[in-house]
Amino acid sequence: MIVGNRKDFSEILEKLGAARRVLLLGCNECVTVCGVGGEREVGVLASELRLYWTKEGETFEVREHTLERQCDYEYIDQIRGFADDYDVILSMACGAGVQYVAEAYKTKLVLPAVNTTFLGVTIEQGMWSERCQGCGACILDMTGGICPIARCAKSLLNGPCGGSSEGKCEIDKETDCAWQLIVDRLKESGQMERYEEILPVKDWRTGRDGGPRRRVREDLKL
Amino acid sequence: MRLSYPGNVKVVKVPCTGRVDVLLILRAFESGVDGVYLAGCLEGECHFLRGNLRARRRVEYVKGLLEEVGLGGNRVEMFNMSASQGQRFAQFAQEMTERIRLLGPSPVKKGE
Amino acid sequence: MEFSDRATHSDRAKPIGAVMVVGGGIGGMQASLDLAESGFYVYLVDHSPTIGGVMSQLDKTFPTNDCAMCIMSPKLVDSGRHRNIRVITNAEVKEILGPPGSFEATIIRRPRYIRADKCTGCGECAKHCPVTAIDSYNEGMSRRAAVYLRYPQAIPKIFLIDREACIGCGLCERVCLAGAVDYGDRESEEKISVGSVILAPGFEVFDAKRRPEFGYGVFPNVITSIELERILSATGPHRSHLLRPSDGAIPERIAFIQCVGSRDAKCGNDYCSSVCCMYAVKEAIIAKEHVPFVKPTIFNMDIRAYGKGFDAYYERAKADYDVRFIKSMVSKVREKQGSGNLLVAYLNEEGKASEEEFDLVVLSLGMTTSKSVRDTAARLGVKLNRFGFCETETFTPLATSREGIYVCGAFQSPKDIPETVAQASGAAAAAAEMIASARGTLTTKKEYPPEDEVKPEEEARIGVFICHCGINIGGVVNVPAVKEYARTLPNVVHADENLYTCSQDTQEKIKNAVKEHGLNRVIVASCSPRTHEPMFRETIREAGLNKFLFEMANIRDQCSWVHMRRKAEATEKAKLLVRMAVANARLNRSLSETEVPVVQRGLVIGGGVAGMTAALRLAEQGFEVFLVEKEDRLGGNLLNLHYTIEGGDVQAFLRDLIDRVSHSSIHILLNSLVVDFSGVRGNFTTGVTTAPAMVHQKIQHGITILATGAEEEKPDGYLYGEDARVLTQLELEDRLYKGDWGQISNLSPEVVMIQCVGSRNEKHPSCSRTCCATAVKNALKLKKLNPAMNIRILYRDVRTYGFLETYYAQARREGIIFVRYDPEESPEVKKEGETLMISFEDKILKERMTLRPDLIVLSSASIPRENKELANLLKVPRTAEGFFLEAHMKLRPVDFASDGIYVAGSGHAPKLISESISQAYAAVARACTILSKENLLVGGIVAVVEGERCAACLTCVRVCPYEVPVVNVKGEAEIDIIKCKGCGTCAAECPARAIDLMHFTTGQLEAKVGALVGG
Repeated sequence: MIVGNRKDFSEILEKLGAARRVLLLGCNECVTVCGVGGEREVGVLASELRLYWTKEGETFEVREHTLERQCDYEYIDQIRGFADDYDVILSMACGAGVQYVAEAYKTKLVLPAVNTTFLGVTIEQGMWSERCQGCGACILDMTGGICPIARCAKSLLNGPCGGSSEGKCEIDKETDCAWQLIVDRLKESGQMERYEEILPVKDWRTGRDGGPRRRVREDLKL
Repeated sequence: MRLSYPGNVKVVKVPCTGRVDVLLILRAFESGVDGVYLAGCLEGECHFLRGNLRARRRVEYVKGLLEEVGLGGNRVEMFNMSASQGQRFAQFAQEMTERIRLLGPSPVKKGE
Repeated sequence: MEFSDRATHSDRAKPIGAVMVVGGGIGGMQASLDLAESGFYVYLVDHSPTIGGVMSQLDKTFPTNDCAMCIMSPKLVDSGRHRNIRVITNAEVKEILGPPGSFEATIIRRPRYIRADKCTGCGECAKHCPVTAIDSYNEGMSRRAAVYLRYPQAIPKIFLIDREACIGCGLCERVCLAGAVDYGDRESEEKISVGSVILAPGFEVFDAKRRPEFGYGVFPNVITSIELERILSATGPHRSHLLRPSDGAIPERIAFIQCVGSRDAKCGNDYCSSVCCMYAVKEAIIAKEHVPFVKPTIFNMDIRAYGKGFDAYYERAKADYDVRFIKSMVSKVREKQGSGNLLVAYLNEEGKASEEEFDLVVLSLGMTTSKSVRDTAARLGVKLNRFGFCETETFTPLATSREGIYVCGAFQSPKDIPETVAQASGAAAAAAEMIASARGTLTTKKEYPPEDEVKPEEEARIGVFICHCGINIGGVVNVPAVKEYARTLPNVVHADENLYTCSQDTQEKIKNAVKEHGLNRVIVASCSPRTHEPMFRETIREAGLNKFLFEMANIRDQCSWVHMRRKAEATEKAKLLVRMAVANARLNRSLSETEVPVVQRGLVIGGGVAGMTAALRLAEQGFEVFLVEKEDRLGGNLLNLHYTIEGGDVQAFLRDLIDRVSHSSIHILLNSLVVDFSGVRGNFTTGVTTAPAMVHQKIQHGITILATGAEEEKPDGYLYGEDARVLTQLELEDRLYKGDWGQISNLSPEVVMIQCVGSRNEKHPSCSRTCCATAVKNALKLKKLNPAMNIRILYRDVRTYGFLETYYAQARREGIIFVRYDPEESPEVKKEGETLMISFEDKILKERMTLRPDLIVLSSASIPRENKELANLLKVPRTAEGFFLEAHMKLRPVDFASDGIYVAGSGHAPKLISESISQAYAAVARACTILSKENLLVGGIVAVVEGERCAACLTCVRVCPYEVPVVNVKGEAEIDIIKCKGCGTCAAECPARAIDLMHFTTGQLEAKVGALVGG
């Protein structure tokens, strides 16, 4: 899923500037699951805004609304009837959602309330961790199912660097060295011969370096 | 036990403090209360095993939110007591009331 | 009528499905309710004009400080209105004839002079009665009319005339609109047929005048403990104001004198009354709570805080309430002239004569049996022990000397409320077993009127009933003003006030109001929903409303009681609490409960004495049972015990029990562990793995009894494990049994026993209950083996409660020396060369003594056997010390908060064998209230998922403490209403807010909170 962090309240206030009629838009997908932009978090941020502005003696209107997804135009269309009543749409979706809402409501000010951080997994209730960077050319078959692009600080492809110590990465003691994990996993699954294979230099054009990507599947198109 | 405690404390019954969510606490502040505290069972003696521990975490979280919006995290608290500790209940009611008095009325009073 | 053996036999095949319970105190009520809920008709006979017993006179109960009347009154009402319980008051049992299983009992009903079928309990008669008589309910400290009700919550709520006080003026007859007064009433006899009988007549307090040296009846400021209970009580003579009799002043210095009429051979009561230490501590605490400057002092020989949670309470009394404890027996009380104050003379622990002045002296009176109870026992042919209590045997603690007649409560031996309640359930099981084949033959099923449908969109029509609770509320809160205010609230169409909303007649009033005003929501503003909500829910259900359309506002505990001195403010707060209740009630919805079939089979975990007894008793009541034991043999702790203090042969008993447990209805699974557990009362599924083949099987059952027991802790320190001469009591008992004395060559060996090893300390604050008696038992055994033996028992308090006290007295007579030590000065054990040395403070000699003992015996703590995994699997709570935690310390001693799971034996708290047996029977009685039914209702307050909003994020799955939610094939969370216990954690955390908790919905809580501010 896509994981994010709620922006600081002060930053959100700053971005809102003088806008006092706010449509707070949640998304019932990834950001709900990772506890950053679902209906409950929409409620929390709305409540914070109301508390703050009431305290400041301001007049305001905050409307809470959560869409099934902010990355599909049919859902985004559901707010068409009332979006214009607000100065600003404050989206709690990932960056994709924010942009898609902005595309749909060209005249509206659409602001993000969330910093989108990574593609990841739930480690345990309340804890998420990065697993994928969407590089466009998956090599997990070669690396024991552990991605060195996403999980090695340097995205090294052929073994660890000198910063690997006792299985941890030099960036901090909490972070596993991805290559240690890869080697352990290859051993465990009896594929150590893979470690001997030299991976070619990565062609980053399939990733972000090739510019924004797009995917088409002709058979699914209407 | 009939121990006197300040009359401004009003009880909202829940089956377990585990039922109390972050939003309910925030909504209470929105409606203009000056402070909120949860009275949960003693830690380790939750009749629903760990509801009071969940509640404590949420209270900590709300403290941060209240700081962010400038109400002050001290307006919310979690207390633990057993059903037989009326003394403690009264004591916490007193403590919290005094704390709130020092902080003054909530700046989020609804216009009346 | 004569019965040949043959006739008796055939009669036993067809027993009568009814039980007579004699005595309607808390024990009698519990036994009656358990029996009536498991398919037997009950006659509850009480000699008093009302049921409730002594508990109805108590103010608070230890160690939870619950209000006695408040926790008891739901049971009073339930007993009074249960369709399968007939309450017969003001009556005695004349005789019981016939064989067990088909007794014929003759009941003598004394005249009441008020007709039960006509009296409405309105009290108009008492208002007009010109006579003032002494009120025995308030222990003679207040007056009442000659026509009276014993106490306001009395069941049945039928007045009676005290003909001794009545002057026959006829006023009451004239004012009684119901025409209930009948001066011509006379004694009548009635015969009832029952299969078995339970005696629960309770106790009488010792007559304080028999200890004239304390001046009771002479000095006005010497009062009894029960009088103090009444003084502290809200319904007492001074409306809970602590005032002393002579001058109505508030006493500052209060002395409690313990053991008045207990542990006293001179008056023939050389047993311990078991409860006085704790009630004195409680009364001291409550007095202090009423009047903070009170300085209570408790003169005692030992503080016997041996029950669950008692020591913590005792420690709190010392630390938080400054209660002073003086280890001494008071020799004399005299009055200081002019002041009414009292001079208390005593020998202090150093043996010095002292005298101290007090404002009030309270005599902690012991328990005795009344003459009328002893006479009844004689008429019924039930043997009493030499103290006048019912005689029972160690291994059959519920059976009297007459077959088919069982006993419970203080009549069996002095005991507190939870033990009475547990034993009462136990007696119910014993009485039921005897007539199990007649289950359901005499009972009738509760038929409710059909439920009126209240649609969510239907406009709420709310009725508000505001309670005066005598003066509890009405004395502080302006109830009429609250009523008028309630009328102005949205959707309130009816508001009324009552003196006691919990009384039986008010229930009728509520029902009529529902019909008359077309109410679809009912609010009672009174006391705590914890005690009274079930009763009011039942009432509105009888009126055709779904019980969840009921709502309560607690304007007593949360208002009048705590803001007593600020009446205006209290009235405003009461209004606000009512407003919150109205805001909430508007959103109350009918919640349906579903019938689910009961698997009429039991599972007992633990094959010790409690587990085996429970399994056997369930089987004898006709239910199939699985008995799971993790070891390769049955027996548990009993395998290590050989004799009881009374001289009972434990191994012979154990062999017999094991023999009986091989029963056609009991499946014994040895070497077996519970590995998974799911389901709810009435339908559990448990996975059990059996070694060595690790066969796994799933057992379906309707109830679960946990009897995992306790064990002796391996002690720490005192050279235990380092020197073979340092043993535990169990190890000593084993040697005593085997006669293994190899290493002691000394002719007059020196033995020192150390009590409280591992108990009553920081890690394990509780008393282990049985070790004092065990030490006495083993010391007596040693003395018998070798009278020349020098035995010292180093103790903190000797806790030989009840009749165990007689063995303590015997031990002292036989020259066993008891030396008290303080925990700060624990005995020290060391070794010089091969010589074992022990040193300790002798308080009388005021010096440190050093001995060279041949044997040191450690009375080590009882700790629960490994039960953490099991507790996790079954989701049942444990105390900080790891014992299982029951649903309510006082009134639900063998139930867990999760229905259908019960606890028995030492896994609950340390226990004697007889107590474990009683408790096992009790668990069976409780279990049978489920097993005897074919269907149960489930649902109600449960979490509900709105599937469309669910993001299938798994939060609920992870946070639910009972692992109830699952994500179903539709990709939505699903919560089984049968399993959900309604804590609401999932609802509070669902990030999509797709889950709500019924009856505590987000909308309701927000509405309530919203109603809290402004106005």
